[in-house]
Amino acid sequence: MKLVDVMSASGLSMYAIVALLLFVIAFLAIVVRTYAPGSTARYDADARIPFADDEPGPAARAGE
Amino acid sequence: MSPHVDTFSYDDAIVRKFLWATFIWGLVGMLVGLWIALELANPAFNLGLEWLSFGRLRPLHTNAVIFAFAGNAIFTGIYYSSQRLLKTRMFSDGLSSFHFWGWQAIIVAAAITLPLGFTQAKEYAELEWPIDIAIAVVWVAFAINFFGTLARRRERHIYVAIWFYIASIVTVAVLHIFNNLSVPAGPLKSYSIYAGVQDAFMQWWYGHNAVAFFLTTPFLGLMYYFMPKAADRPVFSYKLSILHFWTIVFLYIWAGPHHLHYTALPDWASTLGMLFSVMLWMPSWGGMINGLLTLRGAWNKVAEEPVLKFFVVAITAYGMSTFEGPMLSIKSVNSLAHYTDWIIAHVHTGALGWNGLLTFGMIYWLAPRLFQTPLYSKKLAEYHFWISTFGILLYVAAIYSAGITQGLMWRAFDETGRLAYPDFVETVVKLMPMYWVRVAGGTMYLIGMLLFGYNIFRTWAARPATYDVPVISAPPLAKAYVDPHPVPAGTGVWARFTGVHWHRNWERMPLIFTVMVVLAVVVASLAEIIPTFLIRSNVPTIASVKPYTPLELAGRDLYIKDGCFNCHSQMVRPLRHETERWGEYSKPGEFVYDHPFLWGSRRIGPDLARVGGKYPDLWHVRHFQDPQAVVQNSIMPAYAHLQTRALDFDGIQARVDAMVMLGVPYGDAVNRAPAMAREQATALAAGIESAGGPAGLADREVIALIAYLQRLGKDIKAAPLAAAGGTP
Repeated sequence: MKLVDVMSASGLSMYAIVALLLFVIAFLAIVVRTYAPGSTARYDADARIPFADDEPGPAARAGE
Repeated sequence: MSPHVDTFSYDDAIVRKFLWATFIWGLVGMLVGLWIALELANPAFNLGLEWLSFGRLRPLHTNAVIFAFAGNAIFTGIYYSSQRLLKTRMFSDGLSSFHFWGWQAIIVAAAITLPLGFTQAKEYAELEWPIDIAIAVVWVAFAINFFGTLARRRERHIYVAIWFYIASIVTVAVLHIFNNLSVPAGPLKSYSIYAGVQDAFMQWWYGHNAVAFFLTTPFLGLMYYFMPKAADRPVFSYKLSILHFWTIVFLYIWAGPHHLHYTALPDWASTLGMLFSVMLWMPSWGGMINGLLTLRGAWNKVAEEPVLKFFVVAITAYGMSTFEGPMLSIKSVNSLAHYTDWIIAHVHTGALGWNGLLTFGMIYWLAPRLFQTPLYSKKLAEYHFWISTFGILLYVAAIYSAGITQGLMWRAFDETGRLAYPDFVETVVKLMPMYWVRVAGGTMYLIGMLLFGYNIFRTWAARPATYDVPVISAPPLAKAYVDPHPVPAGTGVWARFTGVHWHRNWERMPLIFTVMVVLAVVVASLAEIIPTFLIRSNVPTIASVKPYTPLELAGRDLYIKDGCFNCHSQMVRPLRHETERWGEYSKPGEFVYDHPFLWGSRRIGPDLARVGGKYPDLWHVRHFQDPQAVVQNSIMPAYAHLQTRALDFDGIQARVDAMVMLGVPYGDAVNRAPAMAREQATALAAGIESAGGPAGLADREVIALIAYLQRLGKDIKAAPLAAAGGTP
């Protein structure tokens, strides 16, 4: 018996829908976690990472 | 004792190289785009040169714009921002250089091979197998360099832009490898290992996710870095950026089948693609809002800063095209828009607006920093912004009109219940004014590009004699991680869930984070791919469908070589106006020997799924010689070279052998394909001559192409009972 036979006989057409539901659940977990209380300070700090470089800006360097 | 501090410098030389490559290839890609727009408005612009015809140049345009222009723009931004966000130089200068030169060599190879007709016939994956291998090697080098940089970082938390880069790098690798699996039949010829429905599925799993993970996620990463930098304020909501990221990764990968609505793809796959596409609207607009609201309190700067103008319109274009994408994925809307210019307008909103303008804004921001001198002319950048924006508006307004006009004319019935426009060319003629407006819009965008190039060139020309290389100092990562913002520990399941830092942990552990992204992408892909490949009822076979004869196979390869699939579909959808116009709707079982599938995605010319036997052989000879003499107002270029060039009969055997390796049952042809092809060609040529056509076509390429076209759609007519029932 080939894998194709097994799959064809297994009635697995629905499993894509099951995967969809699992994805939605995983996503909801991330939503809840992200918006859970107490995390604001750390995310504010993370959002400032692009400004943490020590380079002089172009204005300082190029005299703009 | 003071803590240890590392000193290092960033490699900006590589960023400058990618910046120039972005401009040069952008110019080439847009010039080719303008040229093919002219060819559609007037076929005289094909100049009678086969390598300049629309079918050959269109893939060059899309590849140049996507992989050369947008690709180099992505690398410019990634190399600049990653070093700064991770506080380290790139992992290896050698790998950076290999990545740069390797990528440019690939683009040159594409620019040579595509006009010469070497193509796999898969949209955005046209390049032949040796170039595909080169792409994989260069991409792996890039990945090693990027992940090596991540491993050496001095910033504990991985900023959200880097997440988008990670998702792009790993997903593009997966997509590229699996869609391009093929069996070589020569140095620059191969056949996809997939056939028909499965090939179509893989192609649009790839095609849509190339848009997602090459034109969207890396640019979102760039947005999350360069927008805050240009606005001089942090992103509006970091939390929203987390949601944006994971929803994009979770949802995008499923959406590909919406490119195949009403085709022979199984309905469940099509519906799933539609559902996920509609859901994509939410994260896309979340991202757009996040980008635009980063300007909160700084909107006054937009009036003064061309960089911000480019960003605002780019992000707005992202919002527009990601609203339109889900809308187009709804089956009923799609039935109108599919195969029309509407889709072309949609992709140009994204490409010219989102990718193009974001790139220009980024480079205007980078140029003074990279060339260490003020931008040559802010005013010129302003002109660039306005001329590009109007160019885009002109382009998309014309092509939206063209697309909707096409779709409505194709489906229109008169009061007697017959097609209102039964002659396809009627719908072509109607589009001509809009095609000329598109030329005007494209010209404006190209003029903007020239202003951009001049401005950047003059900025570069004013650079210092030697670049200043600032020395950066930063402490290495401590071995033990101490959370600077601890959340008080709670008790119970809920508190553990919201307080165990699980996502936070992923964010500072790139390996686990990458594994999670790969898992999301692979699981979603397999959930659609496995049933498509392994449930037999999804592709019922039809007893009367046989492999192409050796001559027809050679003709099919010429069809591919000349890019006919860029203008002609081979897929009759089960819609009344389609079956009235083209004939019986297409069945999945008709394509089981089609390596690759040739369903096409546009109908610049008529569908050819049922063209076999519709016209006499001599009609095709005359039509290839001078299309306008046979079909008045046709915009098809002449293919006169098909009658003068000798067909390579001896090369047919290798092609049949490759097909046999893929499981196509060729029987006798395994041993005598060239002889069989000659026999069929001789009989066909004799028929053409006796009908009053030219003599001596038996060994010309045109005879193979006619043999192929005359075969299309005939198998199910041969045995209607078998075709109707199929075998489970």
